[in-house]
Amino acid sequence: MLTSTLVLGLVLGGTYAMAALGLTLQYGVARIMNLAYGEFIITASFATYVLFTALNLNPVVAIALVVPAGFLMSYGIYFIVIRPLAARAKDAASLEIDSILATFGMLFLIQGLLLVSFGSNYTNYSYLNTPVEVFGVVIAANRLLAFVLAIFFGGGLYLVMTRTRWGMAMRAVATQPESAALVGLDINKTARLAFALGGALAALAGVVISMHETFTATGGVVFTMKALVVVILGGVGNLLGALVAGLLLGLIEALVSTYIDPGLTLAATYGIFLLMLLWRPTGIFGRAGSR
Amino acid sequence: MLDITALSLRYGKHMALNDISVQVGAGESVVILGANGAGKSSLLKAIAGLAQPDAGAGVLFNGTSLSEIPAHRRVEYGIALVPEGRGVFGELSVDENLSLGAIPRRARDGESQRRAGVYALFPKLAERRRQRVGTMSGGEQQMVAIGRALMSNPDLLLLDEPSLGLAPIVVGELFGALTKIRNSGVGLLIVEQNVKFSLSISDRGYLMEAGQIVGQGTAEQLSNSQTVKDAFLGSPGDPHNQTQGAIK
Repeated sequence: MLTSTLVLGLVLGGTYAMAALGLTLQYGVARIMNLAYGEFIITASFATYVLFTALNLNPVVAIALVVPAGFLMSYGIYFIVIRPLAARAKDAASLEIDSILATFGMLFLIQGLLLVSFGSNYTNYSYLNTPVEVFGVVIAANRLLAFVLAIFFGGGLYLVMTRTRWGMAMRAVATQPESAALVGLDINKTARLAFALGGALAALAGVVISMHETFTATGGVVFTMKALVVVILGGVGNLLGALVAGLLLGLIEALVSTYIDPGLTLAATYGIFLLMLLWRPTGIFGRAGSR
Repeated sequence: MLDITALSLRYGKHMALNDISVQVGAGESVVILGANGAGKSSLLKAIAGLAQPDAGAGVLFNGTSLSEIPAHRRVEYGIALVPEGRGVFGELSVDENLSLGAIPRRARDGESQRRAGVYALFPKLAERRRQRVGTMSGGEQQMVAIGRALMSNPDLLLLDEPSLGLAPIVVGELFGALTKIRNSGVGLLIVEQNVKFSLSISDRGYLMEAGQIVGQGTAEQLSNSQTVKDAFLGSPGDPHNQTQGAIK
C-alpha cells in the first residue's frame, strides 16, 4: 500500500509542480501575483477539450498549439493590463498590490467568459484511459503520461534557467532587480517575457491536467491556491524549488489521504503552508536575504 | 572620452549636484575625492543613467549624448558601473555573474578571453567559479562586481567607493588589480575616500564638496595639496577635519 501511495503521490505532485512553475516565474521574476493564474490553466484545459472533441486532435499534439497561444495571450495581457500598472508603481510593493487587484478582476472576467462558452458543468474527455502497471501499482496511462510530461518540461525548463544566459538573466532579475541595468538588462522586457513564459507554462499545465482530470469553469481558484502554496514552499522565483515542493506536496497529500483521512488533505496542505510561512518564509531552499 | 557639463541633479528640493563639469580622457584614470554626502555617488549614478539630472545637463561619451539613453542601454556604449554596495547577483555563482556581465552586444566577441582575463586578475575567484556570490566575503564580492563590469568590455569603468568596508590588506590587493586594469587601457573614474590609494593609481583628480567641484589637479598636485592633506590624509591636527577650501 505504501508503494501505491508513493506512486500516486508523485504523479499528483508532478501536476502540482507543473502548475506552480509558471506562477513562480510570474511572481518571482515579473513581480506579478497573478490571481487569475488558475483561470489560464482552465482555459487551456477547455481549449484542449475543444481541439480533442471537435478536431480529434491528440492532446500531446495540442501542446504545440495551446502553449504558444498561452504565451501570446499572456504577453498581450501584460501589455494591456500590467504594463500601465508597472509604469506607475512607485515600488515593488505597490505593484504587487495593484497586480493582485487587477488580476482578481481578470479572474472573474475569464471565468465569466468560460461560463458563457462552456456552462458550469464538469467537463472531461477520455484519452489514454487504460490501466498500466508501475512498480506493481496500477494507474491510468494518462496519469503516467502527465507525470512524464511534468518531469520532462520541468527538467527542461530547469536546464534552460541554469545553463543559458537568458535563464541566468531571469534568475538575476528575480533576486536583484536593482542591479539588472548594470549588466544591460531591461528589467521591463525581462518581466514581460517572464510573465508570458509563465502563461505558456500555465497553458501547458492546463493541457496536461485535462488529460486525466475533470474540470469546470469555476475550478481555477483551486489551482491558483495550490500553485501558490507550492511557489511559497519552493521559494518565490525558484524553479527547482517549485519542482521539488510540488512533488513533496503531492506525496504529503497522498500519505495523509491514505493513512489519516482523505478529508484532511486540504487541511494538511494549508497546515504545512502556515508552518512554512511562520518558520521558513523564504521556502525550503530559501536563504536569508533572498527576497 | 567622457565630457560632463553643467550637470545638476536634485532629489526633491535637495540639490545633490550643482553645475558639475568633469572630463575623463580616453584611457585616463580620474579620481573624485570628497566627504560623505558631497554628491560623488550621485554623479556616478547620473553618468550611468541611474539618476535623472536636470534638463540642460551635458553627458557626452565618445561624442554621443547619453542624456536620452536609459541606464540599461548605456553599458552598450562602453560605460560600466561598479556601484556602492557592489550590486552583485548573490544567488548566482561567480561564473554566472560574469556571464551576465557579457550581455551587451559589444561584449560578445572575445567573451572567453575576457573571462580568462578576469580570472587571471583575481585568482581567488578562479578557485571559486561555482560558488554562490552571496556566500563570499566583501572583498571577493567587490572582485566579482569589478569582474562583471569588465566582462562588458567597457571603455570607462565607474567605481563607487570600491574600498569601502574592506580590510587594509584586501584594499591593497584591490588597487593592485585596478592598476592592472588601468594599464590595460580601460579608463577609470573612481569615487573614493581612501585618498592615498586612489591618488596612487590616478592621473588627475577632482575635489567635491556639497554637490560642487571645488578643486582639481593632477594626482601629484593633489597629493601635495595642503587642502587634501588636511581633509583626507589625517594630518596631525584634526583627523576629522572637513574640506576647507579649494585649490583652483
